[in-house]
Amino acid sequence: MENQEIICVACPLGCHVTLTVDASGKIVKFEGNECKAGEKYVAEEFKAPIRVFTGTVRTKGGARPLLPVRTSQPILKEKILECGRYICVLEVAPPLKTGDVVLPNILGIGVDLIATGDLD
Amino acid sequence: MTNEAYDLVIVGAGPAGLASAMKAKESGLEKVLIIERGEYLGGLLDQCVHTGFGLSYFREDLTGPEYAKRFIEKVSDLKVETLLKSMVLEIDSDRNIKYSNSSGVRTLKAHSIILAMGCRERSREALRIPGSRVAGVYSAGTAQRYVNVDGFIPGKEVVILGSGDVGMIMARRLSIEGVEVKAVVEVLPWIGGLIRNEVQCLRDFGIPMHLTHTVIEVHGKRRVEAVTIAQVDKHWAPISGTEKKIGCDTLLISAGLIPENELSRAAGIEIDPVTGGPIVDQNLETCIPGIFACGNVLHVHDLVDNVSLEAERAGLHAVAFVGSGTKPSGKPIRLKAGKNINYIVPQTIDGTSEVTLYMRVKEPRRNAEVKVGTIAKKKERIVVPSQMIEIKLTSSALADLDKTTGELEVACEGKGD
Repeated sequence: MENQEIICVACPLGCHVTLTVDASGKIVKFEGNECKAGEKYVAEEFKAPIRVFTGTVRTKGGARPLLPVRTSQPILKEKILECGRYICVLEVAPPLKTGDVVLPNILGIGVDLIATGDLD
Repeated sequence: MTNEAYDLVIVGAGPAGLASAMKAKESGLEKVLIIERGEYLGGLLDQCVHTGFGLSYFREDLTGPEYAKRFIEKVSDLKVETLLKSMVLEIDSDRNIKYSNSSGVRTLKAHSIILAMGCRERSREALRIPGSRVAGVYSAGTAQRYVNVDGFIPGKEVVILGSGDVGMIMARRLSIEGVEVKAVVEVLPWIGGLIRNEVQCLRDFGIPMHLTHTVIEVHGKRRVEAVTIAQVDKHWAPISGTEKKIGCDTLLISAGLIPENELSRAAGIEIDPVTGGPIVDQNLETCIPGIFACGNVLHVHDLVDNVSLEAERAGLHAVAFVGSGTKPSGKPIRLKAGKNINYIVPQTIDGTSEVTLYMRVKEPRRNAEVKVGTIAKKKERIVVPSQMIEIKLTSSALADLDKTTGELEVACEGKGD
């Protein structure tokens, strides 16, 4: 059995929830949460914490130096820094509209990097 | 009505300005103008490349620019007039507006005005942090502009003073751009922003947070070389012996937002010393008839969704004013901040119109109950200063209100520490 602590962010309480996990990785106990809804969030966060990656890429020949971007879906939390490093070398050119795919299947994760602003 | 140039002039094209313009135009007001000193519409949303916007308004998790675009497109479709790179210099109680741009200084007259100027950030100078006056000290929002709009990082080793959301967001943003964020330092015993940001901006990146600490000195000759932090007592005085020096080349300050009300003060609008914004009634109208306020200039919000909703209400009230003037409504009832309540907006109500009160507590409390006189109450598992509380006063609740006292107290009870 193993213990892991996760802060639930489903509401402002921010309960520090201690999970007891068995050898197969299954959660057998939740401790410290004040409601049931938090258990769902914490279970998902334990299994595979995901985050939306957001940042900027450089532009070439555009009306502004940077274009804001995001992943179209959340990705695994552990891939966030790698995403940031990878897109450092990207350069995009106008015209681009919000929602356009800037880089398909970023890092082979199966998620696209899309523009969140227009580039004229 | 008469020969006024505009039915409604809105100062500021951030989320508050855009939403109020949209609502006013949709409700049939003809000549609506937004005056904005910056180069584009959307205000600070443009530099907020992170998500968390629109969760309630659109039921989507959008970035700042995506959220702004929805309103910018609406405003354009509705043919709202906009004047960019134009700075309002003066507003008077007759609703004349003097502004300046590359064409010179001009004055126009508005039948109604909505103030939507937003906020500034508290500076190092306002915090009076001792030490060298070196390069490398920025407000967190300035750093955000450099990183997300201009394409520069502010430094390589950063310490952030203040655990407001802007500071925490920048801790994450800088980490993603390869900058080492060495610490977030917070003078209070609790976090200034959302728990979500503590987790997703600090813990995710292994950035330590020092609660009950502050920066007591900045070191360096021409550029920041280090800061000294220390633990503070309950009077915020540094505790001798707890000093710690952290080497860094940049100090970011995220220690509070201040509504930008120079124009309002100069116009003679009464300002609430706690919110830093205009005193308004249930119509979001200031003490000058026909001048309304909404968004961060009125009180600092946590969520842009609430800014948009508040701004829409201001737009509707401006439309009603243009249509039929301010109706006299008897002696206003003053909202009084009681136990553990920091402020309430609006500051006065007429006691008959349905209205939603927005408030913040001074200190966190568990199992809390917020009571509005004896006519309404709300129970919360936890109340924290960083999350605004809403309580709606319905017609039936207001019917129970004793209007003779002219006052209505809001108080919060709960378990402290």
